Amino acid sequence: MTKFVPLSINRRTALMGLSAAGLIGMNGEALAARRKFVTANNNPYDILDPHQLFDIGRIAVRLNMYDALTRWVDNPPKLQMWLVEKADISPDGKVYTFTLKPNVKFHDGTVMTSADVVYSMERILALKKGAYGLFKDVVEPGTTKALDPRTVQFTLKAPFAVFMAVLSELWVVNSALVKKNEKNGDWGADWLSKNEAGSGGYALRRYDPAVGFQAARFEGHFAGWGKNPIDDAEFRVVMETATRVLGVMKGEFNTTDGYLPAEQMARMKENPNIKTWEAESIRTFYFIINHWKAPLNDVNMRKALCYAFDYDGFNDKILSGTVVRNNGIIPNPMWGAPKGLKGYTYDLDKAKYHLAQVKNVRPLQIGAMAGYPQSEQAAQMLQAGCAKIGLEVKIVTEPYTTIAPKLNDRERAHDLIPLWRSAYFADPHNWTGFLFNTKNFDAGNASYYSNPRVDELCDQALIVTDQEKRRVMYEEVSQILVEDAAGIFINNTKFHGAFTKNTKSIRFCPIGDAQDVRWIEMEG
Amino acid sequence: MKAVRIFRDRALLIGVVIISCLVLVAVFAGPLSTYPDHVTGFDPNHRLTQPGWQFLLGTDRMGADIYSRLLFGARLTILISVIATATAVIIGVPIGLVAGYFDGWASEALMRISDIFLAVPQIVLAIAIAQTLGPSIQNVILALSATYWPFWARLVYAETRSQRNEIYVEAAKAMGASPLRIMALHILPNISGSIIVRTTIGMGATILAAASLGFLGLGAPPPAPEWGRMIAESREFLPKAWWYATAPGIAILMVVMGFNLMGDGLRDVLDPRLRRGGSDGK
Amino acid sequence: MRILVLALRRIAWMPPTLLGLIGIVFFISRIIPADPARVMAGENASPAQIEALRQKFGLDLPLWQQFVNYVSDVLSGNMGISLYSQRPVAEDLIGRLAATFELAIAAMVVAIAIGVPLGVVSALNRNKFIDQVIRLVTMAGLAMAAFWLAILLQLFFSMTLGITPVQGRIDGWGPDSITGFYTIDAMLTGDGEMFAKSLWYLALPTATLAIPAAATIVRFTRAGVLNALSSNFVFYQSAMGLPRRTIIWKYILRSALIGTLTQIGLVFGNLLAGAVVIETVFSWPGLGLFAYNSILQSDYNAIMAFTLFTGTVFILVNLLIDIAQTLLDPRSRA
Repeated sequence: MTKFVPLSINRRTALMGLSAAGLIGMNGEALAARRKFVTANNNPYDILDPHQLFDIGRIAVRLNMYDALTRWVDNPPKLQMWLVEKADISPDGKVYTFTLKPNVKFHDGTVMTSADVVYSMERILALKKGAYGLFKDVVEPGTTKALDPRTVQFTLKAPFAVFMAVLSELWVVNSALVKKNEKNGDWGADWLSKNEAGSGGYALRRYDPAVGFQAARFEGHFAGWGKNPIDDAEFRVVMETATRVLGVMKGEFNTTDGYLPAEQMARMKENPNIKTWEAESIRTFYFIINHWKAPLNDVNMRKALCYAFDYDGFNDKILSGTVVRNNGIIPNPMWGAPKGLKGYTYDLDKAKYHLAQVKNVRPLQIGAMAGYPQSEQAAQMLQAGCAKIGLEVKIVTEPYTTIAPKLNDRERAHDLIPLWRSAYFADPHNWTGFLFNTKNFDAGNASYYSNPRVDELCDQALIVTDQEKRRVMYEEVSQILVEDAAGIFINNTKFHGAFTKNTKSIRFCPIGDAQDVRWIEMEG
Repeated sequence: MKAVRIFRDRALLIGVVIISCLVLVAVFAGPLSTYPDHVTGFDPNHRLTQPGWQFLLGTDRMGADIYSRLLFGARLTILISVIATATAVIIGVPIGLVAGYFDGWASEALMRISDIFLAVPQIVLAIAIAQTLGPSIQNVILALSATYWPFWARLVYAETRSQRNEIYVEAAKAMGASPLRIMALHILPNISGSIIVRTTIGMGATILAAASLGFLGLGAPPPAPEWGRMIAESREFLPKAWWYATAPGIAILMVVMGFNLMGDGLRDVLDPRLRRGGSDGK
Repeated sequence: MRILVLALRRIAWMPPTLLGLIGIVFFISRIIPADPARVMAGENASPAQIEALRQKFGLDLPLWQQFVNYVSDVLSGNMGISLYSQRPVAEDLIGRLAATFELAIAAMVVAIAIGVPLGVVSALNRNKFIDQVIRLVTMAGLAMAAFWLAILLQLFFSMTLGITPVQGRIDGWGPDSITGFYTIDAMLTGDGEMFAKSLWYLALPTATLAIPAAATIVRFTRAGVLNALSSNFVFYQSAMGLPRRTIIWKYILRSALIGTLTQIGLVFGNLLAGAVVIETVFSWPGLGLFAYNSILQSDYNAIMAFTLFTGTVFILVNLLIDIAQTLLDPRSRA
């Protein structure tokens, strides 16, 4: 039996939260001085359903209004037990039994029970959206059991070493409330798309898809509250980059997204009312190479492409050094990324050398993501490099929603796709087994890359639980992927935070950026 | 009256000069450009550089020379607008002729269909079609021709109606000319003036619409030097890169104005019936 | 009586036009794509989901049957479910109508306020310097790409001078919704600050839309006044010795304004169409921004519903203007 001991979640702050609960709310003075924190986001919050959303861009909905069994904090990310008080894992690694914390309340005052957890898992499996991909291989519908009101048990199809990690995306909804609003067996999808049924730190107060949402601090949150917490968390949709920047400079917004062009960051750094900082995230940018389509199954062809990309030109010039070169697929700060991994450089002679050994060279096609300038720019960079070695490359742009499904269709997939691999959970599996295991053809392995040694290592690493042993396996995988030129690995993202000076104790975590408002303190 | 004519002729002249420049620029884009390889190539070291001697109109997000791209963009602009307008004319004119010449339910139906097209904003229909087909130059052309033909159908219909009882048509009929012959050889030449005027102004409208589709991301993919797309790209870098959107915007302005001036001028020369006391009415 | 007949004739023409519009959208959405079910299901759909959708929407039925179903769906207000938000698209569209209308009407008012006087001045000073300047500016106004003008205005007024908001409809949340027009709702609730703020946010998008519209109005007004000036009627009046000022104010302006009014339907239509593109630049939460977001998400049902909805609004607005004109124009009373 492996036992997870819950980390003490700021016991001191929890106590303070309790005493504060008695004061704030009744007192008119305190009400007037509500601390309001406004985030300008560049993704429209056109839907609030935590089981339909999965992207980091709109994670604020999930992090602030819902709770999950586990939760990621800080950088490098640490997994906290969140709703869970005690976890038991069977020796074969298939049965997970969790005891929930007592007295976790939803915003309507109902106490959370294991039935809510079961309902939430079934809902994810039924809707087949959002985090479905994380669970579909290991959790069958109907296998999650509520043993008693505080005990829930998952029986997995196979051992899955990262199960605890992916439980951070099992957002628990108030099942009684959602069921009440179900229509024609839609699992309440219509209702939950514009309402909220969570237990999180903030309860939805206002929502308008065109404006964003505002949520008020939920005094009765089980984890308690720290010093000077934010009372009103507001997330506004502001599409124009220049407006977001201007708004933070004027103090209308307290922060904005952390991936601004260097020119805009430079303007904010000059402003005395803004503090900026940067942190290396775990989000690698790379080209998917579709190995299914000849001649991309030829390692020489792929090496030619890897040598034809101007890494420094792209990372340091086009992106003005706002990113860090990452030689492999696993982000540098993540364990499992081998130290001193040797990657490819921009070397047209080598590119030509490898290209010369390829038979039946044909023009290639890059599918760039419309609306993501970096994806388009990387496509242009590769196109220009290839032109110099006499290889014709065509670019098409498509919305991500059009590209994504083709990733799982080897015939329709583009030859090359420049995109990010974000951290949905902080484990090397997120970048290796998920993306390159032969098992995941048509379901994550969009490269259609297949290497028996990589498969073996990735499978093994999901069964073994000792992190040191797993590290060695993932380092080998990472090495092989570079030798095989499985993809064109370009950079790791840096988060560039800009916050108004009256805020502090912001906790950046690559899973959720800095959008978890409950940690932020603000001066009165 | 004389002053009006001079202004008119001057308008025509300016229009012709602008459009000739556009055509020359498109044809000689290579020799005229300072960085001919910057249609697909670029220089990351000079990303977002201000206009100056090295880069006349500055550089874009990849470090490509905006002036050179603008020149090559003229080709794309002409290509899209000429093909789209020509297709619209080829569809619209015969429909208008036939519906105008014959009576009957078919004529009525054809005109009703074109009325419905005209009842909805063109750009809205073009967006729907372009989205259905996917972003590419061909599809922009298709979307624009599919939505613009009713303008010509309407015009030719009205003109044909007014012509079909004229004596010269009656005479041709009496000599046993077939309807096809009458339409093609007698009526069409007589109404060609207004078709040419409409087509000239239509070119301008098509360029604006194509640029809008490009701006919305429904046009040619990068690195095509499409003017609307260039303006869209610039937004992320405002206010620093003020020059990024300025040049393509002025290019669109000049070219559309050129076609409008030319159309207005041609109206006076080719379509004297509309020359009522210097009226500007369409 | 005649007015009534004319109005009735216009109204009678409505149903076939709307049916035609539905037909066009049906054609675009069901006949152009090789497999409409696949497009509608969104690219994420599995073969089973696509098949389910085919069944659900009857896409395996004969085309005429599909069309009948489609028409009856649309007539009952069912425009499909957004693939993205899972909400009925019609609901989202209606919620955004007020924003677009507020913008278009504001632009219309500004365009008339600028366009009519300039047109009159231009006509009365025909071929003088001022006329030439006005005509050149008008030409440019018509030839400008509206999205470019929008960016220039943002660049100058918002980013350089910092006097107007760059984008958005209001800073945060609007007034309590009564009409959905922020300016009017703010007035109704007596919230002066909100009223001023909403006007401030309206400024740049209104200006962007109003400039080409004003240019059109200048052209029509100028032409109308010139026509009136050259008419025999005016010639007769001045021969009678009426002062020029009286002639201008009493006769010429009136007939010119009626002429302009006939163009308002056209201008308003252009404004609505222009709003589609302009709203994306200013992130104005109306129909156009909705369409743009739907394009980015390949939300197929949403785009088709948008086309249908905008088309219908457009046809209705034109109908209302037609009828109003019939009632106002003395010539049709004869």
